[in-house]
Amino acid sequence: MNSRILVVEDDERIRSSMRLALEGEGYDIDEASSGEEALDRFSAHAPDVALIDLMLPGMDGFECSRAIRRQSAVPIIIVTARTDTHDVVAGLEAGADDYVTKPFVAKELAARIRALLRRARPNEEETTAFSFGGFELLPDEGVLRRTGGDEVHCTRTEFRLLCELAANPNKVLSREQLLDRVWGYDYFGDGRLVDVHIRRLRTKVEDDPALPRHILTVRGMGYKLVP
Amino acid sequence: MPHIREAAGGTVTEALSPRSRSRGTLWARLGLRTRVTVMFGMGALLLSASMGGLSYFTTRHFLVSERGTASTHQAYVNASLIRKELRAGSTQLVPLLVQADSGTAGSDSVLEVAGQWYARSFSVSRSDLPRSFRRLVLSGSAATQTFQLYGAPEFAVGIPIPSVHAVYFEVFAISDLGGTLRVLALALFAAGLVTTILGAAIGRSASGRSLRPLTGVSRAAVAIAGGRLDTRLQAASDDPDLVGLTTSFNQMVDQLQERIEREARFTSDVSHELRSPLTTLSASLGVLEGYRTELPPQAIRALNLLTAELRRFERMVSDLLEISRSDAGSADVSLEEVTAGELIQRSVAANVRGLYGDPIPPEIRVDPDIYTARLRVDKRRFERIMANLLENAAIYAGGATSVEAHYGPQRHDGRSTIRVSVIDHGAGLDRSERTKVFERFYRGHSSGKRGAGTGTGLGLALVAEHTRLNDGRVWAEEAEGGGACFVVELPIVNGTIT
Repeated sequence: MNSRILVVEDDERIRSSMRLALEGEGYDIDEASSGEEALDRFSAHAPDVALIDLMLPGMDGFECSRAIRRQSAVPIIIVTARTDTHDVVAGLEAGADDYVTKPFVAKELAARIRALLRRARPNEEETTAFSFGGFELLPDEGVLRRTGGDEVHCTRTEFRLLCELAANPNKVLSREQLLDRVWGYDYFGDGRLVDVHIRRLRTKVEDDPALPRHILTVRGMGYKLVP
Repeated sequence: MPHIREAAGGTVTEALSPRSRSRGTLWARLGLRTRVTVMFGMGALLLSASMGGLSYFTTRHFLVSERGTASTHQAYVNASLIRKELRAGSTQLVPLLVQADSGTAGSDSVLEVAGQWYARSFSVSRSDLPRSFRRLVLSGSAATQTFQLYGAPEFAVGIPIPSVHAVYFEVFAISDLGGTLRVLALALFAAGLVTTILGAAIGRSASGRSLRPLTGVSRAAVAIAGGRLDTRLQAASDDPDLVGLTTSFNQMVDQLQERIEREARFTSDVSHELRSPLTTLSASLGVLEGYRTELPPQAIRALNLLTAELRRFERMVSDLLEISRSDAGSADVSLEEVTAGELIQRSVAANVRGLYGDPIPPEIRVDPDIYTARLRVDKRRFERIMANLLENAAIYAGGATSVEAHYGPQRHDGRSTIRVSVIDHGAGLDRSERTKVFERFYRGHSSGKRGAGTGTGLGLALVAEHTRLNDGRVWAEEAEGGGACFVVELPIVNGTIT
C-alpha cells in the first residue's frame, strides 16, 4: 500500500503541481487548502506524512502543526518561502520534523519524505533495548518508556535521534553524523534541525532541561548521551 | 583660473596641480590635532616673545637712562670742582682727578688742559675714548656716549670747561647693568619657553577634547558602514554645540536605515512573491521530466531550455533575497567550527556537477598541513562561495582547472589564515576589472565569455558578501600562466594549527 501524504497549501496551483509530482513518485495524496480543513482531513483519514505550508489564511502553519502534533506523532514537513532562522526554528519548535524551502525540486521533496518514513535502525547489530537514566528504549517496538513505568510519547524522528545517541553511549556524535543518520542529509544539512530536536528530547527525558545530565552538548563537537 | 585656458597640449593644468596638491597635503597630512597644537604653540611663542621683548627693552631703556642721568650729574659736579681748582691756580692736576674720582666708585677721569692730557689711572686714557666722541667734545659741545672698552660696556660723559681751556671726560663702567639685563633676558627667555610649551600642551588637550565627539562619530560611521545600521551616537552631554551634531547624525542614520530597510523589504517581498509561481513551475517541470522518454525530440529540447532557465530564475530570486537580507543587516549567520580540509573538499565536490558547459572537474590540492585546521564559518555560505566561484569559472573560462588551499600570512589582528584559490586558465581579468567583478550585475568584457547571459550577475557580489559575513576577504588576481585566480582568505580558530 502506498504511503499517504496530506498536502496543506492555500495556493491551488502549487497544490495541484505538488499532487502531480508526488503521485509521480508513488504516493497517495490528500489535499487541504487551510489549517482548519487540514485538521478535518487528518481526523478523517490519518496520513503517513503531513506537508504544511507556513503561510496559510486563518489558522497558520505553526498553529496547524501544533494541533496535529498534539494528537499524533506523524512526521511533519513544513514548507516555507522564508529561510530566516525565525521561521524555520519556530516551525520546528511547533513540532515539525523537517522543512523544505520554496521553490523545491519534487525529487528532493520525495527524498525528504522517504527519509522520514524509514524505520529506526540504530545499529547493524541486533540490539533489542537500550537503557539510560531511568528510561528504556525499545527500537523494535518504537517505544520509549520509564523503566517499569509509562510510555513517553515522542515523534518518530525524536525516537530515532535518541536511538542513535543511545547506541553510542558516552561517544560524541557530530551534528553532521546525526543529520546523516536520522534525516539522510549530507554535510551541508541544517544543524538547527538537530539542535531543536535535542531541545525537545531534553524536555522529555531530563529532570531539568536547562541543566541536562544525560543528553549533553559538547561545544564545537556535537552531542553525546551519558547513561 | 588655469583650467579655463585652453592649453594646446592639454596637460598644462595637470602638470601644475600635483605640486600644489602635495604642498597642501603636507600641512593637512599632519592631522588636525597636530596642526592645532602647532598653532597654539606658535601663538604662545609669538605672544611671549613680543611681551618679553617689550619688557626687556623697556627695562633696559629705563635702567640705562637712569644710570646716564646720575652719571652725567656726577660728571658735572666733578667738572665744576675741577674748574674751581683750576681757577684757583692749582697745578697738581692728578691729585685733583683722584679726588674727583673718589666721589664715585667704578669711574675714571681724563682731563685735557691746553693740549696736555692727564689721566688718573692706566685703565682709561685718552686713546680709549672713541675718536668721534672726543672730537665732538673738544669742539665745544658736551656729550655722552656708550661704548665698549676691552669687551665691557662703558658710559662716557664729556664736558668742555672753556673758562679754563680744559675738557673733562669721565668714563663710567656699566658692566653691572649688563649683568642685570642678561639675567632679565634669561628669565624672560625661560618664561617664553615655558609659555610656548604650555600653549602647545593646552592646544593638544583642547583639540583632543573637542575632537573626542568626532572620534565617536567616526567610530559610529565605521560601524554603520560595516552594516550595523542600529548604531547611534550617545547624547553624552547637553553641550549645545554637540547636541546639534549628535541629533543630525542620528537623524541621518535613521533615514538611511529606514530607506535601506524599505528597499530591502521590497526586494525581499518581491522575491517571496515570485517563489509561489516558481514552486508550481518547478514541480510541474519535475512531472514532465518523468515523461522525458515519451516526448518527441523538439519537446525534449524545449524541456531542456525550460529546465535550465527555471534553474537560473530560481537562482536569481534566491540571490536577490540573499543580497536584500545582507543589505537590511538581517542576514543570519550560523557559525560552527569545522575542519578546513573537509569543508573545502565537500564544498567543491557538491558543486562540480551541473555546471554550465559540463567542464572537467577541477583538481583539488589542499595542503595536508591545513587539513585539520579549524575554521569558524557558516558552512552554507562557504559552500555558496565555492559554488559561485566554480560557476563563474565555468561560464567565463571553460571551468576551473584547480582549487588550491594553503596557509596565508598572519592577519593584523594576529589570527592565522588559510587561503583557498579557485584558478582557471581562461582569458583572465584586466587589472581594472579585478575589483569591479565583485559589483552587482557587473558584466565583464565579452572576451572569454562563452554563453550569453548565463549567470545571474549577482554571483561574485554574493561571494564578497558571504566572505565578509565569514570574517574573511576575497580578491581576484592573475593566475600563474594566465587566467584568473580568485582567492578567499579566512581566519583560523586560534590554536588549531597542528
